[in-house]
Amino acid sequence: MTGSVFGAGGLRQTQQQNQQQQQLSLLDTEAADDPSDPLYLLLRSFVPHVAIHASEDVDALVREKGFVGGLWELLRPFGERVQGKVTVRDSNGAAKAWENFAVRFVRFGEGVEPPEGEKGGVTGNVNGLSEGGKGGREEVIGTVEKVVERHLRFAEEAYSAGAHADEEDVDLDAVDATSPYYALYLRRLLSGIPLACHETFAHPVACVMAISSRNTAPIEALQTLYQETSQGERRLPPWVDQDYLRYYILVHDEENGDIAKSMALFEQMKRNFGLHCHLLRLRSTQSAETDDDSIPLPRSDWMTAAEELADIEESDMREDFEDPTRYIFESDATAIRTFVREMVTQSVIPTMERNVSVWNDQVASRRRGISGRFMSLSKRFTFGSSGRSSSSSGSSSSSNYDVLGFYRADSPEAIMRRLADFAFMLRDWKLAMSTYELLRGDFQNDKAWKYHASANEMAALALLIMPPNMSSKTRIETISQMIEQAFYSYHTRCNSLYGATRCTLLALELLRLRGGAGLDEAVRWDIRVLESRLMGTVGDALLRERMAVYYASKSGTGSQEWGSRRRKSALWSVLGAEAWMAQAKYVQAQKCLNAARRMYALLPGECGVQKFAVASDFLAHLNDQVKGVLRADRGRGAEQAEEEQGEGEVDEESETLGNRRSRRTSLITRVGGGGGLETAPLNNTDPASLPENEGSTFPDDGFG
Amino acid sequence: MSYYFAIIGTQDNPLFEYEFGTSKQGGDGQARFSEQARHLNQFVLHSSLDIVEEVQWTNGQLYLKVIDKFFNNYISCFMTGGNVKFLLLHQPTATAAGATRNSTSVGANPTSPQTEEAIKNFFNEVYENYIKAIMSPFHKVNMEIRSPVFRQRVAAAGRKYL
Repeated sequence: MTGSVFGAGGLRQTQQQNQQQQQLSLLDTEAADDPSDPLYLLLRSFVPHVAIHASEDVDALVREKGFVGGLWELLRPFGERVQGKVTVRDSNGAAKAWENFAVRFVRFGEGVEPPEGEKGGVTGNVNGLSEGGKGGREEVIGTVEKVVERHLRFAEEAYSAGAHADEEDVDLDAVDATSPYYALYLRRLLSGIPLACHETFAHPVACVMAISSRNTAPIEALQTLYQETSQGERRLPPWVDQDYLRYYILVHDEENGDIAKSMALFEQMKRNFGLHCHLLRLRSTQSAETDDDSIPLPRSDWMTAAEELADIEESDMREDFEDPTRYIFESDATAIRTFVREMVTQSVIPTMERNVSVWNDQVASRRRGISGRFMSLSKRFTFGSSGRSSSSSGSSSSSNYDVLGFYRADSPEAIMRRLADFAFMLRDWKLAMSTYELLRGDFQNDKAWKYHASANEMAALALLIMPPNMSSKTRIETISQMIEQAFYSYHTRCNSLYGATRCTLLALELLRLRGGAGLDEAVRWDIRVLESRLMGTVGDALLRERMAVYYASKSGTGSQEWGSRRRKSALWSVLGAEAWMAQAKYVQAQKCLNAARRMYALLPGECGVQKFAVASDFLAHLNDQVKGVLRADRGRGAEQAEEEQGEGEVDEESETLGNRRSRRTSLITRVGGGGGLETAPLNNTDPASLPENEGSTFPDDGFG
Repeated sequence: MSYYFAIIGTQDNPLFEYEFGTSKQGGDGQARFSEQARHLNQFVLHSSLDIVEEVQWTNGQLYLKVIDKFFNNYISCFMTGGNVKFLLLHQPTATAAGATRNSTSVGANPTSPQTEEAIKNFFNEVYENYIKAIMSPFHKVNMEIRSPVFRQRVAAAGRKYL
């Protein structure tokens, strides 16, 4: 309803502009490279997962280096950015080099989510692995909310402690910038994708098995590790394909080990286990900040919400403040980087490519052909119609959908799903899209609703990302339908809030990037999400803020900017401010109010809602409230700083263009990946960490 | 069903505001907006001017029907010749939307033809009176309409059609 009229009848000029933009795949737009943009986050979250299964002695070695979490903790940050370009061949054999490829290292067997209809049969297998699996998933949103809330609270405290960095943070040049908190929210939502049956993103593509040179019986140790992953207690549940790549690494202790011996052992490993081996040379002592060749280990951007929350709580508990940054030796970092790159380019990607082409030939193309259509038809109308009558249970004899509520890993549906997911991770959108398309129908016939929801979700995302070939109107309609089905299946049929939220948030972000009619669609979905109360109060407020951004990014035509949505944008900013006020997040509220004021100032009349008595009273009241609280917070120091600011005004004006961007990026790194805010609020309240402000606005007066 | 009717001048300035409730089906003609919705109504109405500005160029009619929706608020628009807009925000009450499924009742279904017709009649009658009001020699462009007679007439039109 909300103004889809324009997309239909609309002014030709905008459409032409849009069309130009719409010929591209979304990946070719600049949004894919902006670290805070949701598209970037999406690309970084649906990446191949590599499980790590290390022997005791490796973990002991890494622990000596100061990493309690073992090898996994050490490797994780390096997986988030594979050095250099990674070349991937798509199903047609065309190679494309990707700059920003990533893999996710996970601990083997972590985060398993049992299927809904789980019966006694599989519990034996699953139980040992699923700590925090069952029941934990629905709380994901809650945890994400808590984490973001924590960050917001730090921001408030930082403000009252005297860091006025964001006081008048007017991003005039970037109306559609992503709020760092929204980016954080999305990131935490997307990190820790559960190892569930209905999607295979979190299923391990490869498993790294590591032993160290300290091990006395290395080959046997590796065999034990292998045994553990393929059978016995820690085996992955039956819906996970067991044929993932095994990658063996030998961690050589540079300080205590004998390199000649390790080399010999490595040769032996190669003989026994084939080519997927690597010799990783690490130093075993802990690196300190003061060491010459030490570099700080970047914090993982993709820690799960629960993990981060635990981290924050821990640092809150401790009285003495401890710097959480870890250091490693430069040589170690180089070794790990080389290892990750080698593993990804020489083992993981080729394996995935091979799997994709094999599955595509053997399973998917058979279904795509004419006989495949018949197959699915005959399956639907089983002879003698016995299947039809009993299909209410969802498992007629011809269906591969298990009574237990999942497809076994060797069923054609599961293989096709894996094929589609692999294609998606390798960014072969076309193949992914067409496979999801096939699966949608199958899952619907089998009434496998969670599978159905997920297939719809991914189909919509793939369709949104890939360059369009249909006219944009029909496209948006198709996509909209898919999201609708995904949303309905997730929300109503499976009651999976996590799925529903993830699906709609991602889809509407991509719709926004598509512009034009997509924007209206995104807005419609946004309201839908707000209405169905998928998220808690924090998410709600963030989404309102986001709404303002959507509307602001719609540009109008002509001198009067007809077709723009400035008033709407301002309205949502006000609503956002209201929501933040209710949660006592005054800094955020002020930001929203400032945004609203800016939008109103851009209107032709430049008066906004001023002439509406009640509304403008309300706005003024809100403003006074925010101002009052913030002023009381800052106390005396701020008063002076404000005077100071008055004097420094000219400086600031002249610096505006150069300064804004850097300030904003500093804000993002602080929130997203930066070491400071993640665990250490105290660190952040120190304005010295934002040196560019000090110079221009706040002279060294002892308050900053 | 509650209504909030406003006449908006060319500078986004309200010339006339009036809140009322339905008089059909035993309604007492009182608006049932919550206290919180008071300011929200104005914000919503103001924000839908964006849509009005867009739609007015694609549609030759004066009556533009329902142009915008904000959660449960529907906004109908009527353009006058002088770029002054009549906006009517109507909010079906939750019970009315659920209980009375018969689409004949005005308001149960805000986009039904019956409702559209009723709102059209209302707008037309108000338009007639509005023309008379602004023909007053003391009236200037974008001046607030304070005439009590006009207010009465609008109220009467509301009672009659909505």
